[in-house]
Amino acid sequence: MKKVKIAGCSAGWPDMMDPAIEVAEKSDAKYLAFDHLAELTMAILERQKAKRPDRGYIPDVIPLMKKLLPIWKEKRFKMISNAGGANPEQCAEEIIKLAKNLGIIGFRIGIITGDDLPIERVKELRAKGIKFRNLDTGEPDIDRVINDLVAAYVYIGADRIIEALDQGADLVIGGRISDNSLFVGPWMYEFGWKYEDAYWDRIGAAVCTAHLLECGTWSCGTCSNFWEEVPEPWHSGAPICEMGEDGNSIITKVEGSGGLVRADTLKEHLVYEVHDPENYIMPDGIGDTTAIKLEDIGPNKVRISKLGNKPRGKPRPSTLKFCLAYLDGYISEYIMIVPGPKAYDMAKRCEEFFYKRLEIVGLKPVETLVSFIGYNALFGPTAPPIDYSPNELGVRFAIKTRTLEEAREARLQATLSWYAAGVGTAFGAPSEREVLALWPTLIPREEVPTKLEMREVK
Amino acid sequence: MGRKVRLSELALARSGDKGDISNIGLMAKDEKAYEIIRRQVTPQRVKEHFKDWVKGEVKIYEMPNILSLQIVMYQALGGGATRTLRFDQTGKAMGNALLFMEVEVD
Repeated sequence: MKKVKIAGCSAGWPDMMDPAIEVAEKSDAKYLAFDHLAELTMAILERQKAKRPDRGYIPDVIPLMKKLLPIWKEKRFKMISNAGGANPEQCAEEIIKLAKNLGIIGFRIGIITGDDLPIERVKELRAKGIKFRNLDTGEPDIDRVINDLVAAYVYIGADRIIEALDQGADLVIGGRISDNSLFVGPWMYEFGWKYEDAYWDRIGAAVCTAHLLECGTWSCGTCSNFWEEVPEPWHSGAPICEMGEDGNSIITKVEGSGGLVRADTLKEHLVYEVHDPENYIMPDGIGDTTAIKLEDIGPNKVRISKLGNKPRGKPRPSTLKFCLAYLDGYISEYIMIVPGPKAYDMAKRCEEFFYKRLEIVGLKPVETLVSFIGYNALFGPTAPPIDYSPNELGVRFAIKTRTLEEAREARLQATLSWYAAGVGTAFGAPSEREVLALWPTLIPREEVPTKLEMREVK
Repeated sequence: MGRKVRLSELALARSGDKGDISNIGLMAKDEKAYEIIRRQVTPQRVKEHFKDWVKGEVKIYEMPNILSLQIVMYQALGGGATRTLRFDQTGKAMGNALLFMEVEVD
């Protein structure tokens, strides 16, 4: 049976680079897949591109490629990446320049575009009758924020990745290609799977398995519940997955690397950011994460196989996830630390001071949150009543306002609140920032024509 | 009435975000623990635990293949990572917060 190895070489931006280099140098993985994007990242990249047309991609891709390309010259693995972000063309241009400088000849790049929609196009589609209902809030149409939109991007699938590989691409680079498709694409290409009834079970297996790999070292024990047992996470290996044509696979990591691959560490990832486990909806198919079995078969070696007769997948959806970013006021923050004894009482007094000051200066923020780091900043209302005397507590003020001026004024009042305590060390916190709120929705597949361009370094 | 323990004695948790939705994978340590969490970790109890930090509905799915529950909480991140005022913008600690919830064991 044909088997193909793919390594998950990046979890987001920023990430450690050396696990990818190690995979390239020491493993026989045929594909290296790089996910660099998160929900917010795209909006940030869009804003960067709006200010400078030669920006908008993940800059780390250049130092990363500088290390990978010389290894590629020897080993000829394939790379699939969404580092293009909001500007795949420019990203490819920079990589081509780099490859030329390094004397890498015959390196073929497939550039995928069409995932980010101009705001004008969104307005056209709205005029045509598509409402873009908000999946988070249920708000029926986009009209309330349509004039505040700054970015719109679609989570596209593996169609063009498969095409690029078919045309001999060594590197496939795109923008908001779904994390999942960076893996499903090469497997579909290698095994000749089509978006047809005969393949949904295996595509579903690939969708579930890709989910275990798309956060790179996370499935090898970084960010893990088992952190106390994980050896040397600072040079954690990246997951390497060998899948067979039947959709079953084995996940390992490079021998000698840090981290831990165990059914447990993979389970943690199987549940991560999945909602309905029987319907994990991805652009290439709907995976059933309850239809697979994870088994430890050796040290740092886990088998993933079909559980019983349940199909592991269903046909891909007719719509794609579509995320719109819009301007939504400002947030300012301030953090200071108050010392004990009576740190909690002191912190409460500072909180009171802050709210009184807002009243005195007549400021009415949209929303405020005061929390005490060391007590309830992470746990919020679930934190049990404080029954101990902390040495020190961080007091964090967060304020949302309509305008930048209000955000500055509110932050000023927060910085003054240590007057209430008499002592306390203040330190810098992020200054005022513009808020890009997200509007997740769906878009019919046919409204998102993507494009593939092939380039070769000569 | 049984002895009360924190969920952290029976299960592990990992939480993540998509927009304003926070989800927690609650992974039981063994089959007995799975039976306990399956019966006692209900949408209502989860909602009560998080008080006004979870404003919307809570849905719970079962994953018998890995002895886990998938807990999906709507309007649960103060508007979502990009616009929430919370320090933990993506709710990565929501899972830990849930592990402080008490359940009864025999």
